[in-house]
Amino acid sequence: MKSLSDQELMRIVQAGDFSPASEIYDRYSARIYNFTYRFLRNSEAAEDATQEVFVKMLKHANQFNGEAKLSTWLFSIAANWCRDYLRKGDNKPKDSEEVLVTLPAAASESPHHRLEQRENQVRIQKALAILTPDQREAILLSRYQGLSYAEIAQIAGCSEGAVKTRVFRAMETLKKVLTAEASGGERCLTAI
Amino acid sequence: MSDCNLMRESMPFLLTESLDPVRRETAHQHIEQCAACGEEWAGYRETWTLLETLPELEAPPRVKQRFMNYVNPPAAAPNVVPFQRRPAVRWLAQAAAVVIIASGAYVAGHRGAQPTTQVVDKTTAATPATVTSAMPLNAIQPAAFSIAESRVLPANQISPVIEGRPDIQNVSFTTLDGLNDQMGVSFDITSHVTVTGHPTDKTMVRLMRYVLENEDRMAPSQSRAIDWVRSTYSQPGNADPEIARALANVLRNDTHEGVRIKAVETLTNLPSALSTDSREALIQALKSDPNPAVRIKAVEALSNLIRKSGQADAITLETLRAKASQDDENMYVRVKAAEALSNVRP
Repeated sequence: MKSLSDQELMRIVQAGDFSPASEIYDRYSARIYNFTYRFLRNSEAAEDATQEVFVKMLKHANQFNGEAKLSTWLFSIAANWCRDYLRKGDNKPKDSEEVLVTLPAAASESPHHRLEQRENQVRIQKALAILTPDQREAILLSRYQGLSYAEIAQIAGCSEGAVKTRVFRAMETLKKVLTAEASGGERCLTAI
Repeated sequence: MSDCNLMRESMPFLLTESLDPVRRETAHQHIEQCAACGEEWAGYRETWTLLETLPELEAPPRVKQRFMNYVNPPAAAPNVVPFQRRPAVRWLAQAAAVVIIASGAYVAGHRGAQPTTQVVDKTTAATPATVTSAMPLNAIQPAAFSIAESRVLPANQISPVIEGRPDIQNVSFTTLDGLNDQMGVSFDITSHVTVTGHPTDKTMVRLMRYVLENEDRMAPSQSRAIDWVRSTYSQPGNADPEIARALANVLRNDTHEGVRIKAVETLTNLPSALSTDSREALIQALKSDPNPAVRIKAVEALSNLIRKSGQADAITLETLRAKASQDDENMYVRVKAAEALSNVRP
């Protein structure tokens, strides 16, 4: 299975054989989980989203266009799930800032560096939370998943120009928040 | 809009390298010359770099576990329903045969090794049946035109130990275009399977024996099987005693006289027909088969055996003599028996 391309694996799935499910999951689960976790700031919801993305991939395999990238299709499903989730009522982020960053720092790093790194990560998560869902989706897909504007437009169901605007607005906001905090908070958040 | 504003709007796209070369060059030249824009650009770069420090997370293992449980749900407790019990030996043998064939299918689907026996190209496209069969039908709907798989398996990838009585159906025999000396025996079990190999391959022999002895009792189907055996195994190079024994069993047990007649005719033509088992089956048919046409064919077969070998054993001679002198026997059977005896050299 590992030697098969995404398209070949999906052709098997489309034929009704789900044996490639594990391999596809292994290829994309981390990316999907990171995207949904950063989008929703809720690990429980991100787990549900990740599972649901791959279940939907199997259920609706015949909707996958073999010429498209599988990653784009999976992120479309994930983004839709996240948007639906945010539209619901009781969907506030449940994870505290303390659990947002879960990876341990390298042992070689000094306590001071580790603390600084942790603070940065919390700041980034808080800054991302300020963005509108559309902006957050665009910046997450662009910065962390390396997708092109055309691919993001396909996922978001909007024009490429709209994606560029969202990325621009997102970066503008993030710069204001993150560089203001870095410089001692002289430029306060209320200016955003 | 001033140049500075235009440049600042371009800065996020400089970071994502999505500006065309001309605009990128223009933007960089402006940033170098404009202090305010230089500061703005430094801020964007700092932000972009900072974003990179978010750690990459792995989905917890339980997520995959839940997903895989969805794909292959744990087996539910089986519903026990009243069932007419089969003899234990037959049941065990059926289970063994199903396991053997399923294992063969699994191995063929998962091994990358090239088989020594030639395989029809369709093999490479085949996929294991186990996953499909384990699918939760109510939970995941397969593609609209999903079909049960059809697999072509080389005989050397199937265990030659074919025991038991799996309920196979739709048996057919095929020749493989471009593959000389290869035969194909196809049948439905859980999925349709074609085992290919040379007629002398032990697996092919066992498979043919199984088909002969266990195919459903529809005479036309059984007759096709016997015809196939006659055309394939009557060639000296393909002779195998197991095939003769299988035909002997058909002669003993089949309820259709047409099938039994074909079995006798085929036994006569097999190079290995001299086996003890074959001769005993012919003698038994001559003694007790209810149909005179079968008994006549049995006498002819025994006569042929005597002629080919030039001698007859005592039991055969005694049976022929008894038939020739049996008053209530069919006249043609008696005449044929007498003719056979006349061929025996003193």
